[in-house]
Amino acid sequence: MARLKFYCDAERCIECNGCITACKNENDVPWGVNRRRVVTIKDGEQGERSLSVACMHCSDAPCAAVCPVDCFYTTEDGLVLHDKDICIGCGYCFYACPFGAPQFPQDGAFASRGKMDKCTFCAGGPEENGSSAEYKKYGRNRLAEGKLPLCAEMCATKALLAGDANVLADIYRERVIYRASSSLRRGVDLQKQNLGGNPGAGS
Amino acid sequence: MKLTKVSDRVEGTRTEVVGTPASSGVSRREFLRNSGLMGTTAALGGLVAPGMMRRAEAASDAPAKGEVKQVKTICTHCSVGCGVIAEVRNGVWEGQEPAFDHPFNRGAHCAKGAAVREHGHGERRLKYPTKLVDGKWKRISWDQAISEIGDKLLKIREESSPDSVYWLGSAKHNNEQAYLFRKLAAMWGTNNVDHQARICHSTTVAGVANTWGYGAMTNSYNDIHNSKSILLIGSNPAEAHPVALQHILKAKEENNAPIVVIDPRFTRTAAHADHFLQIRPGTDVPIIWGMLWHIFKNNWQDDEFIRQRVYGMDEIKAEVAKWTPDEVERVTGVPEARVRAAAKVMADHRPGTFIWCMGGTQHTIGNNNTRAYCVFQLALGNMGVSGGGANIFRGHDNVQGATDLGVLANTLPGYYGLKPGSWAHWARVWDLDLDWIKGRFDSGSYAKKGDKNIPVMNTKGIPVSRWIDGVLEDKDKVAQKDNIRAMIFWGHAPNSQTRGPEMKKAMEKLDLMVVVDPYPTVSAVMHDRSDGVYLLPACTQFETYGSVTASNRSFQWRDKVIDPLFESLPDHTIMYKLAKKLGIEKELCKHIKVNGDEPLIEDITREFNRGMWTIGYTGQSPERLKLQQANWGTFDFTSLAAEGGPCDGEYYGLPWPCWGTPEMKHPGTPNLYDGSKPVAKGGLTFRARFGVERNGVNLLAEGFYSKGSEIKDGYPEFTDKMLKKLGWWKDLTPEEQKAAEGRNWKTDLSGGIQRVAIKHGCAPFGNAKARAVVWTFPDPVPIHREPLYTSRRDLVSKYPTYEDRKSFWRLPTRYASIQAKDYANDFPIILTSGRLVEYEGGGDETRSNPWLAELQQHMFAEIHPRDANNAGVRDKDDIWVETPEGKIRVKAMVTRRVKPGVAFLPFHFGGVFEGRDLRSKYPEGADPYILGEAANTAMTYGYDSVTQMQETKCSLCRIQKA
Amino acid sequence: MNAYGLLWGLLLALLSTAAQAQNDTPPQSGIWIPNPGADLWKAVRQRGQPEPSTTQVQGLDSNQLINVAGEKFRDWRRERFIRYAAYLLAGVPVVILLFHMLHGAMKLEPSGRKLLRFDLYDRVAHWLLATVFLFLAFTGLLLLFGRFVIVPWLGLDAFSPIASASKEGHNLFGPLFLVALLWVFLRFVARNLPAWRDIVWLLKGGGAFGGKHPSAGFFNGGEKLWFWSLAVFGLLLSLSGLLLDFPSYAPSRELLVLALVVHGAAAVILVAFSFGHIYMGTAGVEGTLEGMRDGTVDANWARQHHDQWYAEMVREGRLEALSEAQENRAETTTGQLEEGRT
Repeated sequence: MARLKFYCDAERCIECNGCITACKNENDVPWGVNRRRVVTIKDGEQGERSLSVACMHCSDAPCAAVCPVDCFYTTEDGLVLHDKDICIGCGYCFYACPFGAPQFPQDGAFASRGKMDKCTFCAGGPEENGSSAEYKKYGRNRLAEGKLPLCAEMCATKALLAGDANVLADIYRERVIYRASSSLRRGVDLQKQNLGGNPGAGS
Repeated sequence: MKLTKVSDRVEGTRTEVVGTPASSGVSRREFLRNSGLMGTTAALGGLVAPGMMRRAEAASDAPAKGEVKQVKTICTHCSVGCGVIAEVRNGVWEGQEPAFDHPFNRGAHCAKGAAVREHGHGERRLKYPTKLVDGKWKRISWDQAISEIGDKLLKIREESSPDSVYWLGSAKHNNEQAYLFRKLAAMWGTNNVDHQARICHSTTVAGVANTWGYGAMTNSYNDIHNSKSILLIGSNPAEAHPVALQHILKAKEENNAPIVVIDPRFTRTAAHADHFLQIRPGTDVPIIWGMLWHIFKNNWQDDEFIRQRVYGMDEIKAEVAKWTPDEVERVTGVPEARVRAAAKVMADHRPGTFIWCMGGTQHTIGNNNTRAYCVFQLALGNMGVSGGGANIFRGHDNVQGATDLGVLANTLPGYYGLKPGSWAHWARVWDLDLDWIKGRFDSGSYAKKGDKNIPVMNTKGIPVSRWIDGVLEDKDKVAQKDNIRAMIFWGHAPNSQTRGPEMKKAMEKLDLMVVVDPYPTVSAVMHDRSDGVYLLPACTQFETYGSVTASNRSFQWRDKVIDPLFESLPDHTIMYKLAKKLGIEKELCKHIKVNGDEPLIEDITREFNRGMWTIGYTGQSPERLKLQQANWGTFDFTSLAAEGGPCDGEYYGLPWPCWGTPEMKHPGTPNLYDGSKPVAKGGLTFRARFGVERNGVNLLAEGFYSKGSEIKDGYPEFTDKMLKKLGWWKDLTPEEQKAAEGRNWKTDLSGGIQRVAIKHGCAPFGNAKARAVVWTFPDPVPIHREPLYTSRRDLVSKYPTYEDRKSFWRLPTRYASIQAKDYANDFPIILTSGRLVEYEGGGDETRSNPWLAELQQHMFAEIHPRDANNAGVRDKDDIWVETPEGKIRVKAMVTRRVKPGVAFLPFHFGGVFEGRDLRSKYPEGADPYILGEAANTAMTYGYDSVTQMQETKCSLCRIQKA
Repeated sequence: MNAYGLLWGLLLALLSTAAQAQNDTPPQSGIWIPNPGADLWKAVRQRGQPEPSTTQVQGLDSNQLINVAGEKFRDWRRERFIRYAAYLLAGVPVVILLFHMLHGAMKLEPSGRKLLRFDLYDRVAHWLLATVFLFLAFTGLLLLFGRFVIVPWLGLDAFSPIASASKEGHNLFGPLFLVALLWVFLRFVARNLPAWRDIVWLLKGGGAFGGKHPSAGFFNGGEKLWFWSLAVFGLLLSLSGLLLDFPSYAPSRELLVLALVVHGAAAVILVAFSFGHIYMGTAGVEGTLEGMRDGTVDANWARQHHDQWYAEMVREGRLEALSEAQENRAETTTGQLEEGRT
């Protein structure tokens, strides 16, 4: 059985945030809710790397475990989806999620939370595939149309990949092999020998 | 059961199957298996999904009826030219699909490209013609607007001269609109017409064209796949051209190509580099000469290439010899080891490509910088080869096209210039009486050549970077009849230009301001006028159609996605309406069909096809472009050549020069000056543009010629006489002979001279050497000069700037008088500026797009922790950034991205002026989501010595807590 | 052993498991990151996230790649909290029931003479707090156990609106608890100041051992323990609840998780305590309920359970037969001692 996964290649990600706006575009996600985000570590320093993060569709999802109303379900492709008709907006999934994926629109007085919204892997929700009810609640169901999530399909540098976990692993392995030989030959070592220290510090 | 798709239900840590498998499961797995295979084969820079698939039948309860139509168009944000597939139903832009078969982007997009569908919403657009009455915006009709504006323009024309109206065009126009705009200005009778190329790559165009013939990117984004090394200077494509990184990283990973980044900032591009040289802003020439010093010292240069194809390298060597490692370190701040390592890596990995952007061009010595870059590539023999080249990434989506089509104060379309012969050529193309055109201009004269008065139509206009001085300068110091009295901002963001406070003054002094734009822009709010401002809603390029030229000179056809929103109109329709009011519509559209008020786009394309012989804008007919558009998928991702299919053998976008007539079916030229191919197949030589001999030295190529050339050496450009001398005249048809008599390859409207030259394997423009020394420029050999506002007073005497000039592009221009004063004590921090990935240009469009605006909510200044601590500033504090000419209030971003003593500003913000929020001044509902202080409110005086490019990369500032 | 002693034991057990939960490293089995050889993820997970880390997305802790507290929270909630809370909240009533069956109610032989114990303000404050507490406890427990108790019974679709209403009601009336709590605290704190005899009372298990009631003032040691537990846990409950009520003002996700842990633990402890309180106030000790219902208690009840207070009342001459209508505080009737009313 296929297990659908995201994978982000930090060597490729350039923090262009295209995945974020692609997601907004495809799913009409409102201001303040970001199903996907790009996190940059060591920002502005040597070793700066970025990763695009959204729901990782965990095999044993912590969000589902802590949900008081059991609104999550796992599809046969391994996607962790949820039912907004069941969700009560308590926020527990946000506390439990390792990746900060669940998002909550501000809803009503006292800044209380609306129903949770998160990445669906562009697979919609429990409503009928491609129905307008599904689109309103969860955004586009691309999977039912035979397409992959738009964030990955539109990634500027093909850093963000989506698909069968085994295929992604193969792609990644291939990249790693290329890079291992590549970095040796490109003379990164030369830089280290000649210059030492941290090139990011400039002069 | 409601949960139709439930198959597994996670219950604690156990997983048990309680549901039935969804019916769609099998097909979905099938799909993934397919995508998996393709993903593996195309792992590097390839696909992860199986291309386009038809959208599944809409479910029964979906209310939307009508068929989904897929429209192929091109992203309007940058010059990469990414393909976009829009899904439209019942005239509503419902979806955006990745264009996996597009040769440039393979479906990829940056934040802006992935958000273009928002143009179909346009919530913050300017919705109808609006006029400022007593400080309030008032809705008016199109007829009233055109009529009132026309009357005022005619009155100014009467009282002053046509030159008192400034036509500020746009790189956001498509080719046809850009051409029509230039023609409109010519019909109006002025050379005061310009656009953003002036302030983005004018120094590139001037520097590069004067080195080897054409002022454009020589290779292509895709050709970077063939590069063995990559050098980027003053360029941050990770933010400005993100999809270019797909090509760059492909070369890095597949070719082991080292990446060298030279920049004052540790940019997001630098984060992926192998060598990073952090220079002091404004020291491009020293760092390049510093690298060349090592190259020449170790004899890494390509001597054979230089002998055959380069003029003046010895003079360069003499200058480079002065740039010893010590001096380079003293001036740039980069130690020898790093410079040498970068030079060696470029020498060891050939061909290497050289990429630059506005970090190099926007300087008082911008033309020196760009020529130094060219010399570097010439020295290593990296020109005219696949994988090498000067890959100059242009800015706006159609800045290359608008430049080519002459929306410039110094030339007619096709870089013909403004000489009498140039006008005569275009009068023939337009089928107009040259005297009638002449009569449209001011009858006086603003300049002399010897004793002779130069007619106004042959005098360069005021460049867009200086329009404020055209307004504010004393009348007797401006070399035209009167000051500029009316500004027509046709797709222009004023906040992309320096000297904000003076611009505000200039706006307030004008008689008339007309803004034609999809958004009100900062032009609507920056000033404190209470009347005399008109806002006309233009539609975006998604609401019209036409051709667009990407950075790599490829033409792409854009289809119309949706009808114009609200009361907006396409630019060419507005131009025609205005021309009609001004009484010049018959001449403007003599051979262009007009439907209602809308000139037919295809006819405009065909018209410039008939005239743009210089740069081969002649072979791309609308039909050829549309055929290519329908067959995106047949073009190779690396070579851009179509393999099979209806476009077999053509290069994608028929990159110019696409010689001859469309019937000649030239495939376009993918890489300029590449002699390994016949000219007929896209090969080329360096252009013979600067004569055949100088000081007894041959300027033509020696022993080098393009493949299949019947002339096995250098040769000058083709003329009728040359054809006769060569005995090739008889190859012309009788009609061609008639048209070619007395003409050359640039002015023969039949294209016969070009056809015959190419038939014999020759480049119509000759085969010459590139010149490393541009003897017509202020600094023939590129040299370093300190910025006007420099922090290094110790270097001023050795590297002084130019003397002030009395009349330069009609205006007095200051250099030494500014540099003479020491500002470094009061303003100790170097101020530079640049781009953010989420926004584009002045940002009015992108800051009005909620999907983008949410990602950048505050204008900020990057400052080093050391400077922050010295100023008592913490991250996210409000600070004042103050230069000798202006001040802005922004948020501090404390980061090591910049060096101590350097601060960086992104320039896309606007709508706040010196701390004052101008939101209330926008027309209702048309204020962008995000406003912020414009960096250029603080940016200071300084203009390039050749093109009047503005200096935005080196100034001085002080930082204080607000 | 009486109910209070048992409650203490359970409380300690719960606290120790909670502490243990904090120290445990979470099991890694739960998450499979589809990222073969992703050094960066590994580094971030194992060595913590390198600084400075940024993102353009505005949101709570949006610049964190890995939420370390998440797995701890899940483990705490699913593996410990829900389980032990269930044991506790089911166990306490069972213990009380057993106790009641063995021990029976503490009988009261009414003397017929009444003693004013709680005036109107006391009673309103008490019942306000009690009502809010019961409402919050009920809705809170629904959210805690509903998935395991209600869902199998009614199904997801039926439970969701109940849960949603519970959540909204809980969030809406939550702050009222703090108000009621402060009122009760101010009203009763003077009478709940600890004294030596309270320790003795507690040590003797409130008279469960040895048969004779230990000495007690207005409130006995057990009641004071309840009061102070209520004050301390109630305050924790309120403060953590307020934070959870306005999550958008929280500075970090970890603080919210901490608040949730504190809120849950304090709530369960108080609910368990309240079982004892309710038992003692109703079926456990005859004559107690009427003190909070009518304001007066029987003199014999006072002598039996609060001998010192009774003595004081007698000394001050406040023992009287109050008419049911007379509900003002004792000042007005000072010295009007009436004896022999039958």
